[in-house]
Amino acid sequence: MIGNGSVRLLSKNFDVPNMATLDVAMKHGAYDMLKRAMKLKPEEVTELVKASGLRGHGGAGFSAGTKWGFVPKDKFPRYVCVNGDESEPGTCKDRLIIERDPHLMLEGALICAYAVQAERIYIYIRGEYYYPAKVMAEAIKQAQAKGFIGQKILGSDWSCTVHLQNGAGAYICGEETGLIESLEGKKGWPRLKPPFYPAAIGLWGAPTIVNNVETLAFVPRILDIGPEKFAAMGSPKNGGTGLFSLSGHVNKPGVYELPMGTLLTDLIHKHGGGIPNGKKLKAVIPGGSSSHILTADECENLPLDFESVAARGSMLGSAAVMVIDETVSIPQLMHWMVRFYAHESCGQCTPCREGTDWLLRLSKKFLEGTARKRDIDDMWQLADNIDGKTICALGQAVAWPTKSYLVKFRHEFEALCRN
Amino acid sequence: MPWLEIDGKPVEVPANLNLIEAARLLNVEIPHYCYHAGLTVVGSCRMCQVEVEIGGRKSIAIACNTKAADGMKVTTKSETVQKLRRSILEFYLQHHPLDCPICDDAGECDLQNYYMEHGLHDSRMPLEEKKHKHKVVEVGPHVVLDSERCVLCSRCVRFCREITGTDELGIFGHGRDAELLNAPGRKLDNDYSGCVVDLCPVGALTDKDFRFRRRVWYMKRTASICTGCSRGCNIFVDWETDRRYKDPVRRIQRLKPRYNEQVNEWWMCDQGRHGYSLVDSPDRLTVPKTNAQGNGHTPTVDEVIARATAKIEAAIEKHGASSIAVLASAASSHEDLFALRKLFVETLKVQNLDCTFSFEMKGKEDEILMRADLTPNRRGALELGIKPWGGEGQGGDDLLNAAVEGEFDVVIVVRHDLSSLLSERVLTKLRKNSGYILYLGTHHNGFAELADDVLPLAMWAERDGSYTNFQGRVQKTNHVFDPKGFALFEWEIWKKFGANFGVELSESSCFDLFNSIGRSVEAFSALTWDSLGAKGAMLNGVPEPPHRRIQTSRPLAAY
Repeated sequence: MIGNGSVRLLSKNFDVPNMATLDVAMKHGAYDMLKRAMKLKPEEVTELVKASGLRGHGGAGFSAGTKWGFVPKDKFPRYVCVNGDESEPGTCKDRLIIERDPHLMLEGALICAYAVQAERIYIYIRGEYYYPAKVMAEAIKQAQAKGFIGQKILGSDWSCTVHLQNGAGAYICGEETGLIESLEGKKGWPRLKPPFYPAAIGLWGAPTIVNNVETLAFVPRILDIGPEKFAAMGSPKNGGTGLFSLSGHVNKPGVYELPMGTLLTDLIHKHGGGIPNGKKLKAVIPGGSSSHILTADECENLPLDFESVAARGSMLGSAAVMVIDETVSIPQLMHWMVRFYAHESCGQCTPCREGTDWLLRLSKKFLEGTARKRDIDDMWQLADNIDGKTICALGQAVAWPTKSYLVKFRHEFEALCRN
Repeated sequence: MPWLEIDGKPVEVPANLNLIEAARLLNVEIPHYCYHAGLTVVGSCRMCQVEVEIGGRKSIAIACNTKAADGMKVTTKSETVQKLRRSILEFYLQHHPLDCPICDDAGECDLQNYYMEHGLHDSRMPLEEKKHKHKVVEVGPHVVLDSERCVLCSRCVRFCREITGTDELGIFGHGRDAELLNAPGRKLDNDYSGCVVDLCPVGALTDKDFRFRRRVWYMKRTASICTGCSRGCNIFVDWETDRRYKDPVRRIQRLKPRYNEQVNEWWMCDQGRHGYSLVDSPDRLTVPKTNAQGNGHTPTVDEVIARATAKIEAAIEKHGASSIAVLASAASSHEDLFALRKLFVETLKVQNLDCTFSFEMKGKEDEILMRADLTPNRRGALELGIKPWGGEGQGGDDLLNAAVEGEFDVVIVVRHDLSSLLSERVLTKLRKNSGYILYLGTHHNGFAELADDVLPLAMWAERDGSYTNFQGRVQKTNHVFDPKGFALFEWEIWKKFGANFGVELSESSCFDLFNSIGRSVEAFSALTWDSLGAKGAMLNGVPEPPHRRIQTSRPLAAY
């Protein structure tokens, strides 16, 4: 079920054996787009990406080309960070890209580095991704030997090195400023905003572009088929395709490449093969565990792109769709979710540090049968006190789903209360 | 210079000022824990959230990281803001041990203050579920940590990183297990470690020296300066004398740095902080002392002065003024030195007088505050005309050597404990070669045993006095409490001597003396006691030094 979908743009070569080796990859066109990009001016590459409507696939959905354009004109050195710290529960797409087609991502990162004239690329891969990191290390070595990485790449004046860094297992290092702090050798505590964009002040104070693995992997494809065609593949403002990590109660879970704007019900029923054992759909978490839950009714007729999902009161995030059938207890699901965030809270700012722990203790009460009705309101209020009051988005990541579970499935919580 | 509105009041503030500082200009206090003007902004406590309206858009922002901008409308007291503060306080207090009755910080604790002002909520947290952390951790020789009280504001961590550059503290663990602790294998053992106690907004870091001494609301506070070195850090003296049952001797309970942007900003060194113990030391000289009679009789001050006067008169008659040496001290105030100069230099024409000795220049010097010169008033002494003794290249050390060699009949020593500086052999030689030694000192020591007569001096906390620091800034100490026993102000002693030699010294207080100095000494003209104010004033013709932001020259990268 890997990389199977209605289209195969990014995942075109996922099934090619030994795609991770450079010879095979080059037979399938790897680094051709880098050559093409380097014939253009750096600004032209940025414009191309901007025109394609490529959105960040890490979670926030920020326009990639716009981000590249934020780099201050006269500030050097510059860096590119590839965010491979894929830790959002439900998400498993970056791993696939790195394992199946590392040169595609590497090429995309190099094109990005060329577009912003960066001198070094840092690839930050999640600590638990031991095997993908090994594959990536080998790919970097081979690309270096062929001269795609290093001094005076392809005979130009531009030099760029690649540095691979393994994380140590912290979810928070997937937050771009947390990742930067971690790269600097410090504790992965997200930075205070403003300054809002690492593109201006990032790694060691230098302009830094932080992009997700998937986002960068799309870049060579954009150059290949052209930005107009890429943009046309998706829905308005959402260029191209996306990798959807489908999990939960579906017959065929996996990563599916689909055009942006594909209907959620199509993903579940047409591609995912429906819900096993004839059970009824209860709810869907559309964009990783930090998004608002959608009830079965809300899932009807919902195109999976950033704007449409946001209009339904949730978010597409990292496009990790978790399907929940009628057998699942929402209070239990919430406990599982809150436990994750309480464990991953970095402890820097108060609402998240103290609030997640408190939420965890309250949510446990529902499982133990000691909860009272008051606790439901307390939990909602606590989540509201965390929401938007923290340095980074982890506060929202726990507050949003908690609030949505409590509001949309209040009857289930009430059923577990004493008295 | 942006104009903005804070709680409906318009104010113009300097550019690049954050909202906490801007509100301070209007005497509006925005509650905060992690923000400190001397440290980088981290914005982690979230206590300073306010409503900000700019260009018609209303939003919630943290005041510490929001720069005042033109046309901004800031609301610090609305219902929304109050609710936010209450929610943050609730987060802070859910695991707080609530041990205020035994906490040293009670009374000056920001958790307490803000709770009374903004919180006042009932706890939703059952007591038995509270989290436990490390207690009574000795993080350093002067500081004790109680992690359960800690609000993880990281001020102390940033202080050790940004000001001292020593990086001994850190926050370890993540999420709910985050805890302030020593860096592995490191003790908080720098020269400024006491400052983390001042910085701590709650009772997590306490001074070992002050722990369980006094409730803060019993203490009285007097502004003063530290006389431990030539920097002259501004301080507060916190003192309390009514509860003798706690400690019959101790009057000063603690010293706290007082903000002066030109001198010490918010900081002071540990040496100065704990230097107060000398004032209440049991070794203090409290009565005049004489070794001449050897019968245990305690003389009165007047008896000692009368005898010393006779000795001085006899020496002058026999060998002239050159047979008298005065080893004065640059630790004396302007007033003392002014009276001393009037008596010895102007009236008795004594040439052998100096206050600059190399043994006083051996302190630790660093880029933050500490100065090698351990006297508070060397510059003032020079300005008052007490120049190095002797010819080219000579000074106080040579004067002392000459005294040891027996060139003088009468040797008068002010404050210096020569017994701890000279070897036994040299000391015996000095004793044997000098006809009469008068010692004016503050503490019992070997030299007080050796001198013929001893007069007790009041210390800095017991008197008013003014001093000029190395920058040329004239600052003053204030009278906190009366001198111990029969100890006298130094100028008082010289005045009594003067009466015997017909010196006109009409001034009867430090204020009068300083004002006379202002009238008669060029460098002090335009200065009066009142013009010194809380933060002192520069000598005549000396420009204000540029404001120096105190921080280590080897900081860790912070963006």
